Amino acid sequence: MAARRVRSGSRKKGKQNLVPVFIGVSIIAVLALIMGSGVLKKGSAARGLEPTPNFRVAEYRQDGSRFASSGNVYVFDGRVENIETIGNARLVSISIPENPDERLPLLVQGDTKLRVNLTRGDRFIFETTCRTGKTSEGQQVKGVLIVRNVETK
Amino acid sequence: MMSLLMAGACSAQMPGGAANPPTPGVQALPSSFDASGSSAKKNSNDPAHQGETPNPQLLGIEMPLLDPSTDTVKYNGGMFDVGNNAAVRARFEKYLEQVPDNTAESKRYRALMRDMLKQTQRAGRDRNYAVGGDVLIKVGKGLYQASEYPGDANQSGALASAIVSALDVQRESLVRTRDNEKIEKEMNGLIKQADNWQNYNVARKTAISTASARPSTGKKGGGGKIDSGGDINALRIAQNIKIAAKKEATQAANLATNESAKLASKLNYQAMLMALLLSRRFDHVVIGARIYRHIYRDGDTKLNLDEKSKAHEVFTGGVGLPPTVNAIDSVASNMRREVDQSIQSVYGMLARNKLGEATQHLIEAVAIGEYMQSVATFPTEARQRIAEFWTLRKRALTALNARDYATVEQVAAKMKELDVDFDDSLLLTYTTGKKRQSDLAIRNASKALRNGDEENFNKYITEAGIIWPRNPNLDKGTEMLAKIDAGDPVKEEFKRLYDGKEFRRIAREREHYKIVATDPDLAKKYEEVIALVMRMDGMLEQIKTVAQQDATLGPCMAYEKLVEWQKSDENFAHDTDMTLALKDFESKAHDFVQALREGESCEQRGEFGSALSCYYRAQCKYVQSTLARDGIKRVMDIIVRAKYE
Repeated sequence: MAARRVRSGSRKKGKQNLVPVFIGVSIIAVLALIMGSGVLKKGSAARGLEPTPNFRVAEYRQDGSRFASSGNVYVFDGRVENIETIGNARLVSISIPENPDERLPLLVQGDTKLRVNLTRGDRFIFETTCRTGKTSEGQQVKGVLIVRNVETK
Repeated sequence: MMSLLMAGACSAQMPGGAANPPTPGVQALPSSFDASGSSAKKNSNDPAHQGETPNPQLLGIEMPLLDPSTDTVKYNGGMFDVGNNAAVRARFEKYLEQVPDNTAESKRYRALMRDMLKQTQRAGRDRNYAVGGDVLIKVGKGLYQASEYPGDANQSGALASAIVSALDVQRESLVRTRDNEKIEKEMNGLIKQADNWQNYNVARKTAISTASARPSTGKKGGGGKIDSGGDINALRIAQNIKIAAKKEATQAANLATNESAKLASKLNYQAMLMALLLSRRFDHVVIGARIYRHIYRDGDTKLNLDEKSKAHEVFTGGVGLPPTVNAIDSVASNMRREVDQSIQSVYGMLARNKLGEATQHLIEAVAIGEYMQSVATFPTEARQRIAEFWTLRKRALTALNARDYATVEQVAAKMKELDVDFDDSLLLTYTTGKKRQSDLAIRNASKALRNGDEENFNKYITEAGIIWPRNPNLDKGTEMLAKIDAGDPVKEEFKRLYDGKEFRRIAREREHYKIVATDPDLAKKYEEVIALVMRMDGMLEQIKTVAQQDATLGPCMAYEKLVEWQKSDENFAHDTDMTLALKDFESKAHDFVQALREGESCEQRGEFGSALSCYYRAQCKYVQSTLARDGIKRVMDIIVRAKYE
């Protein structure tokens, strides 16, 4: 029993000794959080791009037009695998980390001014919209991801 | 000499002797192979034999002549092989089946014949042995006794009758001779009487003339009347002369009758000897020839043959001397010796298992001296051995005549087993040649069929059948013929399959559809189909080999190549094997194929973004994919050209 008392006495004493430490650590943590969030907030705000969560390329392959009707802005963090230039436009195929075996084709229209230079093998963050178009012959072109903005990773 | 006798041996057998008629369009078959190697065939129409001297004739009967170099007999315009004549064969087979003639009756018969031969031989040698008389009586009795033996076929009786007939003629001649002698005496009496009368008349005339010359004595009327001096027996003398002349004529007639009867008798007797010679009764011939001089004691033994005839030449031996009865004796004696020697050689050959040669010698011995003791008593065991070989020989000949060359070879092999020295080279050379000829014709028929030449096919296949009717390869030809006969339905079936592009089935059953080659157009199509299928098989084999080298990319490559081929050629798209291979590779390259299919599907739905993604995925699976690259290019173009909201 004595041993217990000794112990309980020493526990109380220990708790009393840690309080300042907790306080100090909490303050530091709060400061760190405040500072960190400030830094993050500053970066995001600079670019305004967040990868769209849970995007499955396989789903896009199955039915691309579905993506054109709901929200239709998608941000991808992907690696440029290929760039095909046709006239003023470019078709960029990227691979995204979640689906390395898939290729996602993105259209960079001729009138889109990008602030970055797309290079093969590099990763970028692409802000895209899924659109439906029409050819001059009247043929519908559904579910094409058109790049609006690109930022370096 | 020998030839004539052997010819005689065959003379009784000729009527049944038929030669093998040559098959039209086919080389004449050899009907003999062991003795002569020459065919027994009618050659009256053979230009090579035209213009030949006809056979000699004896007493109006054509005599068969044998050529010993070929064992053939010429008779009635035909050549007959002694060993291969139907009648000879039948006679020889009958002989082989007979038991040796060793009965008591036959022994007695042969003893009689031996005795008669001795009698006649003795009569010929012994100068003191009386000619005629006893010999004739003994021989005559012996012949009549011998004629009772059935195997003699009454030849002895016939000879005895001939002898009796000749003696009868002789007897009649003797009577006529005696008549002439009597006539001579009577004529002499008549002439003597006439002479007496004539002498009396002459004396009387002389007396009268003397008296008339003396002066008269005055007696008037004295002395009576004076005779006028005429012949007082003139009529009698004239009668006598007339009777004498008649008797002389009778005498001359008797002499002439004797001569002609003698000649006729000799002719008859010689004809009998020739008949016996031709029927191979040599003992009878010898007896008859030797008894001849006992019948005709004039010493004339000349044979009455036409000097220009071959028989005359045969019996004179070409030395120019006249043919005689003694020559017949000589010939018959020689033939007896020849037959005995042949039989002795048969025994020797049998001891050395030379069945082929033994058979041939026995045939000759039987053909010449069937009725001789050495032939008639030939033992059963030896006959059976030869009969076995003879049966094989007959089978070989039958098979040869039937052009069944396989059987001929089998039989020849068996004959070779029985007689290792049997020379089967002629048989085998002939059969091999014919078999090859037939096979060559079948090959030509097959070639003609491939060229669609039905006419030549029929010609060659028929030729092959004629040459060797049982050629096993003919069955193939028969099948081909059947196909030709049933060709139209097959052609129709082929056309249906061709139009339906079922080339693989045609190729699988190419033998069945081969017959369509008789139609030039279908033949071309048939060749095209076979070539196409072979080409496709080669391509499939190649693509499978390459696909096996990489388990991941190989199937993708193979699939894409097959798709490419099927798009490039409609025939490939219809090929079942190629389609099966495509499905096989499709399952092996499932992800790649699915990506391509989804891409196409998306394209059709206007989902060009998705389509492009699909093609990219396919390209990821197989980087060198042409289909994926083309899809990407195609879709990209559309995507870039489109205007978006």
